[in-house]
Amino acid sequence: MSASVQTLVSQPYKYGFTTDIEADVIPRGLSEDVVRLISAKKNEPQFMLEFRLRAYRKWLTMAEPVWPNVNYPPIDYQNIIYYSAPKTQPKKLGSLDEVDPTLLDTFEKLGIPLSEQKRLANVAVDAIFDSVSVATTFKAKLAEVGVIFCSISEALQEHPELVEKYMGTVIPIGDNYFAALNSAVFSDGSFVYIPKDTQCPMDLSTYFRINNGDSGQFERTLIVAEAGSSVTYLEGCTAPMYDSNQLHAAIVELVAMDDATINYSTVQNWYAGDENGKGGIYNFVTKRGLCAGKNSKISWTQVETGSAITWKYPSCVLVGDNSVGEFYSVALTNHHQQADTGSKMVHVGKNTRSTIISKGISAAKSKNSYRGLVKIGPKATGARNYSQCDSMLIGDTSSANTFPYIQVQNSTAQVEHEASTSKIGEDQLFYFAQRGISPEDAVSMIISGFCRDVFNKLPMEFAAEADKLLALKLENTVG
Amino acid sequence: MANSVSEVSTMAATDPREVYLQGLVQTVKAAVPEDLALSNLRSRTELLLKEQTFPSPRQEDWRFTDLSALLAIAFTSPGATSGATTVAEADIADLRLPETTGAQLVVVNGRFSAELSQVEGLPPGAIAGSLRTLATQLDPDQLADRLAQASGGHDVFTALNTVGFGDAVVVWLPRNSVVETPLQIIYVSQPEAHPLIVQPRCLVVAESGSALTLIEDFWGEASDTHFTNAVTELWLDANAQITHSRIQHEGAGTFQIAKTVVTQARDSQYLGTAVDFGAKLARHNWEIYQTGEQTTTKLYGLGAIAANQHSDTHSLVALSHPHGVVEQEHKAIVDGKAHSVFNGRMAVAQKAQHTSASQLNRNLLLSDQARVDTKPQLEIVADNVKCAHGATVSQLQSDEIFYLQSRGISAPQAQRLLIYAFAMEILDRIPLATLRSRLAQTIAQWA
Repeated sequence: MSASVQTLVSQPYKYGFTTDIEADVIPRGLSEDVVRLISAKKNEPQFMLEFRLRAYRKWLTMAEPVWPNVNYPPIDYQNIIYYSAPKTQPKKLGSLDEVDPTLLDTFEKLGIPLSEQKRLANVAVDAIFDSVSVATTFKAKLAEVGVIFCSISEALQEHPELVEKYMGTVIPIGDNYFAALNSAVFSDGSFVYIPKDTQCPMDLSTYFRINNGDSGQFERTLIVAEAGSSVTYLEGCTAPMYDSNQLHAAIVELVAMDDATINYSTVQNWYAGDENGKGGIYNFVTKRGLCAGKNSKISWTQVETGSAITWKYPSCVLVGDNSVGEFYSVALTNHHQQADTGSKMVHVGKNTRSTIISKGISAAKSKNSYRGLVKIGPKATGARNYSQCDSMLIGDTSSANTFPYIQVQNSTAQVEHEASTSKIGEDQLFYFAQRGISPEDAVSMIISGFCRDVFNKLPMEFAAEADKLLALKLENTVG
Repeated sequence: MANSVSEVSTMAATDPREVYLQGLVQTVKAAVPEDLALSNLRSRTELLLKEQTFPSPRQEDWRFTDLSALLAIAFTSPGATSGATTVAEADIADLRLPETTGAQLVVVNGRFSAELSQVEGLPPGAIAGSLRTLATQLDPDQLADRLAQASGGHDVFTALNTVGFGDAVVVWLPRNSVVETPLQIIYVSQPEAHPLIVQPRCLVVAESGSALTLIEDFWGEASDTHFTNAVTELWLDANAQITHSRIQHEGAGTFQIAKTVVTQARDSQYLGTAVDFGAKLARHNWEIYQTGEQTTTKLYGLGAIAANQHSDTHSLVALSHPHGVVEQEHKAIVDGKAHSVFNGRMAVAQKAQHTSASQLNRNLLLSDQARVDTKPQLEIVADNVKCAHGATVSQLQSDEIFYLQSRGISAPQAQRLLIYAFAMEILDRIPLATLRSRLAQTIAQWA
């Protein structure tokens, strides 16, 4: 790598500002009292408190997983603030005009205009700042067709029966260490309910922002698509630059009934730490979709570019006959970032199909691992899976690993897995140079070609953003 | 990993697996003959074992292979008298390959049998036979540099073998010596009153420029319950070539845990074929370590199991030098309630630039109760490499069967034909025609 490459790699993180806003913060640490306090602050129904306490007690008995291919100093769970909310938040917002202008400005700066008049794109947004949802746009319009799109806190007040029915059904409280922690202390998140035979009229989106340097963010998203419905959901995230590491342990649960379709896309751009690996978010996330009904379909698309450490396996449990699970991922790591990510496809029902396409790009001293599981149960007659994971290495100090687990217990299943590793060759760059294309442009073209299969699955605006994001992140990593 | 080890050692006294392992260590130690004390090596290795426990499925490496069945059996070491006298020539006559006439080493219950073995026509300076009788002909320093010195020697079963092997087959080829006749090693298990733990050990050193074709044949009686814990160390110095075929057709009551560790120096070529037909539970750890650049490694594996058999292959190719070429293909045919496990790991270190590695794992499931767990695993730090792997699991393709049926071949026949073809892609790599056709026959009958 040439010197100019080095300078270009250190592209500043443009979302690294902090917002100076008075916050309602509870003391550091975690105990049963803290769990009760969070629940009380949010004025939650009794079942929710019990759910949290069960999760907390379970969490106490669990150990932090050590199997991921990542290294980090031990996390002090007593030194984290589990609840932080902007103080000026009124109890109930009549309209967006009542939202604190500082907050609106913050989201404006992030490129997420919350005021509906200004919004041209046909996307409804739920904006989450530290622990609480500050605004949800287009609610009225969505309500016309019966779609519920609001924060989890609001859903707990207005639709407790729906939350109680579905929460924890896909990811049980004791699923894993971080899921148990989230179940105990989750602060907010989005709730989506699409009624029977409804095509959601616009894309839904949640934007997550961590502002407080010492708080963890534990959000929880629940999407339920009733029979015959469909929805496209987008998720974005950023955080300010701090020298310390912040913990982000989220849960996303999706439930798709007969013939329902859920498309879930993420562009994850949490602060990744500086070039020496200082600071950044620990992104320990559990995402799982349940294809409960026949012919249902869940599709995950993710572009992972941020976070110091990513530990995340968006999964599909294919219970309904003929259900379909998809996972499309681009994971890019640079500097000292570490990513251990992939997907799990659990085939239970007959004729279930799944596809995994994973593209990993690792540059500088980063570590990028694909870890996946394809499990075909004994009753999943005619199940079909195709997995492909390609890695691209930039520079000889980065590493790429694949750990695919394939477990088959049904002879009629057909499972295929392919993986390859390669680099951007001198000859490729030379070929571009011959045609008058600079190395920077060449690299970005090669990368965008490498990721094409995944970007094609993203909604339009996101695809353009993702392409630019990768180009920016990798500028001058190849000289 | 570090965590789980420390957890284990703190509860040492009460853990039944720990107790069982230490019991095994004492059992195998008691059978070590006085003329093969190797006390330094063995006591050092025993210390390593003190820190370990008998593997449980909670360890990632043993997740799909449960050894709990072994815990219920108190194995004993073969008696001192065991050896040539109890195995008749007629018992093993079928195993002898005509191509290897004059170069057959027979090992009974882990002990070399001079009566049944014959070694003729080796090139000058080449040695093949029992470590106990050949020790005087070998340079002790050179032997100490090789015996039990390959990487991975601390693995629990490898260490157990090192602590207690009662004899070892040694094949030592000096510089540039080319062995024309393929060399066959036959390992036979002979039942005794109690279930036995048998620990065959083999050391092959091919010094620079030498070449050898080696066949290892593990055979046991069907009814016999015993535990074979085998270790084979192959050393390929610069430019050496070894073509290795490993055939495992132990009896249906046998547990076999085996390690084949290959250390490859610069420009060496290793071509290995491993065939797993027998045993109730078989685990083969096949490890290749590179110590020089531009090595060629070809690994071909075939498992064909049915009923309640369990077959597990864990391969590791560790590349640490530039320009290595690796080609691996592993196939499994799984019928009945059998369970096949494959874990193929390729680790490409930063120095191993210009590595070209490919790995393919294909599994054929023939019954609804059969099970396959596979994990092809790539770990890559070097950037200028070409690595690819693939894995498939499926039953026979219905359109392929239909194609054959449309040409007048009955469905069962078509199925047999396809299974045969699937297996032969691997078996064709075996250089000995007789061996190849014997194994092909087994497949043809089996299907």
